[in-house]
Amino acid sequence: MAIKEDPTGGQLPEEAPAGGITATAVSRKFGQVRAVEHMDFHAPAGKVTALIGPNGAGKTTLLLMLASLLAPDSGTVSVGGLDPQHDRAAVRSRIGWMPDTLGVWESLTAREILAQMARFYRLPAAGIGQRVAEMLDRVRLAELADQPARVLSRGQQQRLSLARALIHDPSVLLLDEPASGLDPGSRVELRTMLRQLAREGKAVVVSSHVLSELDEIADGAVFVNKGRTVRQQTTEEAVAAGRRYAISATDGGALAAKLTELGLAFRQEDGRRPAVSLMLSDDDDAARLLRDLVLAGVPVSSFAPASGALEETYMNLEGERR
Amino acid sequence: MSQVTETQQPGAGSGRAAGYAAGIKDVVVLELKQRLRSRGWYIMLAIWFVLTGLVTWLTWASWNATQAAQRAYSDFTPAQTGPGSMIFEVVLAFVLLFALLVAPALSANAVNGDRAGGTLAILQVTLLRPGQILWGKFFAAWFAALAFLVASTPFLVIGVALGGMTPGHVIVALLMLAVEVGVVCAVGVGISALAGRPLFSIVVTYLAVAGLVIGTLIAFGLGTGLTQGTIMANQPQYRQYQPLSNGPVEPEYTCSGPLREQPVARTERVAWFLAMNPYVVVADAIPYPERTGQQGFSSVGAIENVSQGARYAMAGPEGTYPCANGEAKPRYLAQTTPLWPLGLGLQLVLAGLLMWLGWRSLRTPAHRLARGTRIA
Repeated sequence: MAIKEDPTGGQLPEEAPAGGITATAVSRKFGQVRAVEHMDFHAPAGKVTALIGPNGAGKTTLLLMLASLLAPDSGTVSVGGLDPQHDRAAVRSRIGWMPDTLGVWESLTAREILAQMARFYRLPAAGIGQRVAEMLDRVRLAELADQPARVLSRGQQQRLSLARALIHDPSVLLLDEPASGLDPGSRVELRTMLRQLAREGKAVVVSSHVLSELDEIADGAVFVNKGRTVRQQTTEEAVAAGRRYAISATDGGALAAKLTELGLAFRQEDGRRPAVSLMLSDDDDAARLLRDLVLAGVPVSSFAPASGALEETYMNLEGERR
Repeated sequence: MSQVTETQQPGAGSGRAAGYAAGIKDVVVLELKQRLRSRGWYIMLAIWFVLTGLVTWLTWASWNATQAAQRAYSDFTPAQTGPGSMIFEVVLAFVLLFALLVAPALSANAVNGDRAGGTLAILQVTLLRPGQILWGKFFAAWFAALAFLVASTPFLVIGVALGGMTPGHVIVALLMLAVEVGVVCAVGVGISALAGRPLFSIVVTYLAVAGLVIGTLIAFGLGTGLTQGTIMANQPQYRQYQPLSNGPVEPEYTCSGPLREQPVARTERVAWFLAMNPYVVVADAIPYPERTGQQGFSSVGAIENVSQGARYAMAGPEGTYPCANGEAKPRYLAQTTPLWPLGLGLQLVLAGLLMWLGWRSLRTPAHRLARGTRIA
């Protein structure tokens, strides 16, 4: 029977199995192509979970199953303890989905689009105008609210698409490549917004292959490749697994000599500037090494992580596959 | 077209129906807003209006010219009924033709066009049911097509005003045109939900319309050859020709002699093909006067001829072959059983079937996808 939980209210950010969204051993074939095979996925409420994998890894297929648009051939999806197959309406009112294709009704204005969506989610008619205005403010489209959607830039359309996914205040947010095509400023903004949504207690799922920024927003990541879940880890775990640092010095010889003396394995990078890179296990190691280098008189000109923590995992996975 | 029961809806019965209708209305509003903002629709409407006006004017002018020529070169002037019937018929046939041509363009990319644009899944992921999306698309396409009929109304009214017809004719004709356009729209929307690409579904819908308009005639013609049968009939004795006599004209002959087997085509077996033709449905639904006791009806309108022809085929040899079963048959068929309910019924079955298949393909979570389509 009807679930009397308030569909508009966020759930408490706790690891309760009822919160968030879970897929257990889902598989999906398209003809002969096995897009997703026995994939497990869990995104807890109150956290941002990144779904990471190369193109064609099955990310979008998994998201479509999570969004209750596609039925898995086998396995189950559970949204706050509900199965989309049986409690369609209850599940839908808790899910906000932002597709990777923009898909806007071009001749409608941003305000009209959001108002239509609110009606499709059967929000009370009296509150729609205000809810739409709120969402427009939230994604900074208030000034463009009465322009037809076709005149919006790609970034603005992305923001509109996000507002569309949020209009009914879902507790689970599924974002398929939300950052693609965004300029750096908009990316920072998106990051802030997703963190804010997670703080409100929503389970936020972000699929992407732009990894560097996911470090900053994701609490955890699920790595998929060739339709399978390859690894599931939190960002802390990823950081703990070590990180590659790039170091350059005006005197490359001195740097190499000192590193050899310290007994560290490093490799020469063939970037634009001569640099070396090496794996360090944590931030303390990095601080210690930098101090040693500086005290030894090595003219260090830059010392920085070469890649994001998640990127490191991703590249390692790629390496394992080859 | 209803779906599985859902537990989430407040209230039941009428409340649920109202909620369902409200969802349809929301989709219709969304669709119509987009259509009303596209310039193409207005351009098509303007072209339509001008063309229909042109056809009306040409019909009227050519009728006038014919009349003038007849008066100039012959003493014989036929009884005047005015050009009304003729203008009405030509305009009606033309409007139906164009409606059949416009309706697929307005309906056959309704669903897969959205799928291609990435906006269908946006609707599917909301609380809307697949039936609401499909009905919404259908009504929006139908309303857009009805605007074309509204634009042609003045010319049908002119046909009436010029004489010979009653307002009832216009009302019945418009009603039947609206229904026919609705059938084509339903076929188009259904096919667009099934086919992957808009171009393909538009072509298929045009072919379906061609099938209804021309295909039914071909099927009837070829089918008739396969319905050879026999009938028991005797010999008709025709009366002497009395061109100006009053009194009863029917029957023109009497039947006598022994019943013999005669080879005939049993057209009633394939007449349902003919009944599905949109022209037959419209023509058959429009009332015309009873002419049984009348003589010299050489100038009956085309609508009447189409209707009677189809009813003739439907009656089959039993009702039309001279002296079948020893009974005299009226020369002019007083077939009062209308054919259009059968034809319209078959059309609705076809449209309903396609809509149902389309509805199945819109259900989510989707189990099967059409080949080569992405859900989003």
